[in-house]
Amino acid sequence: MTVVPIDPERSAKPGDAWDEALRALAEQGDKEAFARLFAHFAPRVKSFLMRAGSPEVQAEELAQEVLVAVWRKAALFDASKATASTWIFTIARNLSVDWRRRGRGLDRQDDDVDFDLIEAGEPGVEDRLHASRESARLRGALAQLPPEQQQVLRLAYFDDESHSRISTALGIPLGTVKSRVRLAVAQLRRLLER
Amino acid sequence: MNMMDVRHHPENELLLAYAAGRLETGMRLVLCSHLELCPACRKRVRALNALGGVLLGEMEPAAMASDALARTLARIDAPAPLVERSKKVSAPPPLPPGAIWPQALAHCSATPWRWIGPGMRWSRVSVPEAPEANVFLLRIAAGKYLPVHTHSGREATQILYGRFHDGRALFGPGDFDAADASIHHQPVVQDGGECICLASLSGRLRFDSSIARLFGSLVGM
Repeated sequence: MTVVPIDPERSAKPGDAWDEALRALAEQGDKEAFARLFAHFAPRVKSFLMRAGSPEVQAEELAQEVLVAVWRKAALFDASKATASTWIFTIARNLSVDWRRRGRGLDRQDDDVDFDLIEAGEPGVEDRLHASRESARLRGALAQLPPEQQQVLRLAYFDDESHSRISTALGIPLGTVKSRVRLAVAQLRRLLER
Repeated sequence: MNMMDVRHHPENELLLAYAAGRLETGMRLVLCSHLELCPACRKRVRALNALGGVLLGEMEPAAMASDALARTLARIDAPAPLVERSKKVSAPPPLPPGAIWPQALAHCSATPWRWIGPGMRWSRVSVPEAPEANVFLLRIAAGKYLPVHTHSGREATQILYGRFHDGRALFGPGDFDAADASIHHQPVVQDGGECICLASLSGRLRFDSSIARLFGSLVGM
């Protein structure tokens, strides 16, 4: 298994452009802004889902469904809490959890509790750019992790694998997988809190 | 919200599984009950969500069907499917003042308190979208204890009210505990008040004595 190093430059898209597009969508139902969001995110959501093991037909359907949800929920997007990428990632994640359940004939009944609504108070001015700054720092932090820690983190998101299967796939002991996850997340947090 | 002094938090591994959408429903609900009360863990989850966003942003785009945008716009124009909202089936079983019923369980139903032993009652929580999820509440009186046990799978516990000590550490309201097969413990409720916990199990509890095993089979644990 190879590890693709993370290139902070390549992924350092101006997060704010997508935030603006979401705002235009929420406030004016701007179809052009939606088309731009679609062109950028739908193919990446599809690719993400396929990487995580969905067959292509299903990934295509689900990617479209995710963008439908982006349209319907655009007004709930809050640029001070998350970047557009993060917000769309959580929508894609929740919908794919639903899909796995639907495969067993069960519909999800309620949305997850939105923890951001629990946070008290309005974000202050200095928080406005917080989410995109945090994402930029996160990209940098991720790039600084040793390759083996990046690898277990990626596997956790992309592959429908338990840690014991990751352990088999990589041919390393389960305890090592666990400690790499622990180290990687602790390291990310430290880098973010600097 | 009453900010309690949370001392025991879920491990990163569990938060990561949650952020990646890979946590089974029962564990997810117990974890969400913790997140509702714990700003520190919410912050960790936000970082992990942001990590998901970064990974999404880095994906090589896959080719979409040629009519994908048109079909998506057509879906948007179609009326939103009517989602059958679950009725808030039943109130939680009666809780002492100060105990908080997690929002994560707002759509679930729970049985009334049932007696399972001296000073011990339980209530099964039914999760509409995951009937197989093994989620329950335990209510244990001051000074009582659960028989010594270990787990074949994983156990997640969120303390809603009161305190217990399991031989390793003291747990109080807002605290989260996860145990697996490596942990052999006997939660003892502290004097001075009863304790109410929300728990989810994957796999079964294994009790050490035969009488305790019988007790376990009575409550289906």
